[in-house]
Amino acid sequence: MANEERLRRTMMFVPGNNPAMVKDAGIFGADSIMFDLEDAVSLPEKDAARYLVYEALQTVDYGDAELVVRINGLDTPFYKNDIRAMVKAGIDVIRLPKVETADMMTELVGLVEEAEAEFGREKGSTRVMAAIESAMGVVNAYAIASSTDRMMGIALSAEDYTTDMKTHRYPDGAELEYARNAILHAARAAGVSAFDTVFTNMDDPEGFYRETQYIHQLGFDGKSLVNPRQIEMVNAVFEPTEKEVLNAQNVIAAIEEARAKGSGVISMNGQMVDRPVVLRAERVMRLAKASHLLDAAGDYISNVKAANSQEGGKQSEK
Amino acid sequence: MEIKKTALAGTLESSDVQVMLSQGTNGIQFDLDSDVAKQYGTAIKATVTSVLNAYGIDNADVKIVDKGALDMVIKARTIAAVQRALDIVDEPNWEVL
Amino acid sequence: MSEQIQDIHLRNRMQRKQWQDFLVDRGIEVFADQEIDVIDDTIGLFDENGQLVGTGSIAGDVIKYIAVCNQGAEAGSRFNTVVSELVSRLAQQGVFHIMVFTKPQYTTSFEHVGFTKLADSDQGVLLEKGDPNIQKYLAAIPKKDPDEKIAGIVMNANPFTLGHRYLVETAAKENDWVYVFVVNQDASLFKTEERVALVQAGTKDLENVIVVNGGSYMVSYATFPAYFISSPDAVVDYQTTLDARLFKYWIAEDLHIQTRYLGSEPYSHTTDLYNQALQRELPPEVAVKIIPRKELGSGDAISATSVRQALSDGDINKIENRVPITTYQFIVSHQEELEARIQKGNENGD
Repeated sequence: MANEERLRRTMMFVPGNNPAMVKDAGIFGADSIMFDLEDAVSLPEKDAARYLVYEALQTVDYGDAELVVRINGLDTPFYKNDIRAMVKAGIDVIRLPKVETADMMTELVGLVEEAEAEFGREKGSTRVMAAIESAMGVVNAYAIASSTDRMMGIALSAEDYTTDMKTHRYPDGAELEYARNAILHAARAAGVSAFDTVFTNMDDPEGFYRETQYIHQLGFDGKSLVNPRQIEMVNAVFEPTEKEVLNAQNVIAAIEEARAKGSGVISMNGQMVDRPVVLRAERVMRLAKASHLLDAAGDYISNVKAANSQEGGKQSEK
Repeated sequence: MEIKKTALAGTLESSDVQVMLSQGTNGIQFDLDSDVAKQYGTAIKATVTSVLNAYGIDNADVKIVDKGALDMVIKARTIAAVQRALDIVDEPNWEVL
Repeated sequence: MSEQIQDIHLRNRMQRKQWQDFLVDRGIEVFADQEIDVIDDTIGLFDENGQLVGTGSIAGDVIKYIAVCNQGAEAGSRFNTVVSELVSRLAQQGVFHIMVFTKPQYTTSFEHVGFTKLADSDQGVLLEKGDPNIQKYLAAIPKKDPDEKIAGIVMNANPFTLGHRYLVETAAKENDWVYVFVVNQDASLFKTEERVALVQAGTKDLENVIVVNGGSYMVSYATFPAYFISSPDAVVDYQTTLDARLFKYWIAEDLHIQTRYLGSEPYSHTTDLYNQALQRELPPEVAVKIIPRKELGSGDAISATSVRQALSDGDINKIENRVPITTYQFIVSHQEELEARIQKGNENGD
């Protein structure tokens, strides 16, 4: 599945009607850039933001970043034009907010398919993702995550979710525990990516590290971000350890060996290597590469890792 | 195509441009305010004009306050202004995009 | 995230205080009712910590009480954000022509966001932005040969009386052409369109009189915002000077008006100050001629005030000999409606 081929540690929100931020969105090294036509854009500017993001997608080079757009919800008068404009612009992923049921994704996919036909895009080339922002959404998470082949991932959006749950966000995140686990399980079971919610207090880097380490530990693919300064911090948390890299390199070596021998069975230390292990090894190697932990020959550079982790560690101790 | 009502799009913030369109009788008349009018004035007007032409608008008064916008921003803001001026905000002209 | 614009509700006492303190810290100290009551909308720019770092207000087509704190931000960026939001909000309401009255030192800041200076005095400047602007306003007024004798009169005509008629007649006799500008202000008992129509009807026989709606450029000078001027004495001077210079450098200049006619003002001190300002500012390019008021014998000067008083007293007979027949007919046929307006407390201006 194409889903497994990308790193999605960081999904950076970019207000869709802000030309300065839209044009510079590619320079911070986010794995995914999410142009926001929804909450960041006031009602009278919905049309203007749509054109701005459209033109930016036509002209700005965002490098290797995966390009996502958060459209307006199915309960607004804007989403149909959002979908058509973004499909025409060739967006990678359309993110639907406030998803509560699989039917909502089906409606989205139907419109995406129509737009692909209308604008001559390859059928299926536009992927979708769902933002889960309510108790209903969490309860239906698996149905949503598995609702379509186009699914790229599901994301927790905590602001509306905590309101729906009659609470608000706390520093320890206990109020999100169930939702995080439910969404993560749904994503894994459906084979799609899982994204954690944003952390908005820029004056609390310690809290940000704590939360990021926690969701990394749970197994999320990455985190939604509101500020480019957070990208580096997330990447530091997601860096593989030297041991993980060496282990992954061994797995890769075993695969190559099996291939050289013409054997369909990959074995290591006298054991068969399962597919999840192979996938994890590939992911660790992508992470290592993205974190610049490998030299030109693909070998682990130990001093870089030491310096990086020290920096990350220091900040998290603040 | 005739402009139905005066319309404005864009902001006065850095990297943006504010485009105001109103009915004109004498071709496309520009009033351009930009720190880089000397170097880029002609290019800015050309971008706006090409959008107006794409909509078939021959007469318009165009007031532009440029805050260092890229060409793509000028195009996007002009499209938004035209759609508003023609009172077709909810029906984007996909051929022009 | 980044800084955010939010509504400020001046009726909310806590917010009002926060807003007012912010302005006072930035040297804006006047919060008189006539400045505040006309405000339709106030916005605040709040930083990441929820601190107020900028504000601005809308009053009709005027933006006012604009102030920003530049600490921790790129110079000018917050100012542009606030003005931009005000301009966009007005556009959403269909208002595309915007005026600002401000301290002279902020002229450049406003010019940088597309405003054009129309007039200034030591205390304050008037700038405008958008469409239709003053050039468009003037372009729509018929032009006369600059070699002819051209006069101008500005009147509220609330309503048009025989006193106004006498002033116009006098100017019409002494000149080839007379522009009569009717002040655009709907706070008056008679609406602007009614006042314009009554002036037109009452001067129809004078073929060299051109009646024009004063638009945004001939309003009651007393409504010029003065919230940024702390001394009350300076306010009238600023308002009258700005009004006089706007007339001189734009209106008279473009329409080749050589003489401005005024009615004498024996009763009102502020109007007298206004006449003085015109006499100081307009010459030599524009001469000022003061015509004594027409009286009804026995020292009873005809004024719009006395007409409105009679209307308010239900004493319609008293009106007949003070106004042209056209005005009288209008009053008689609209008596109930006018009385209702008076009841509603709409009585305003002169």
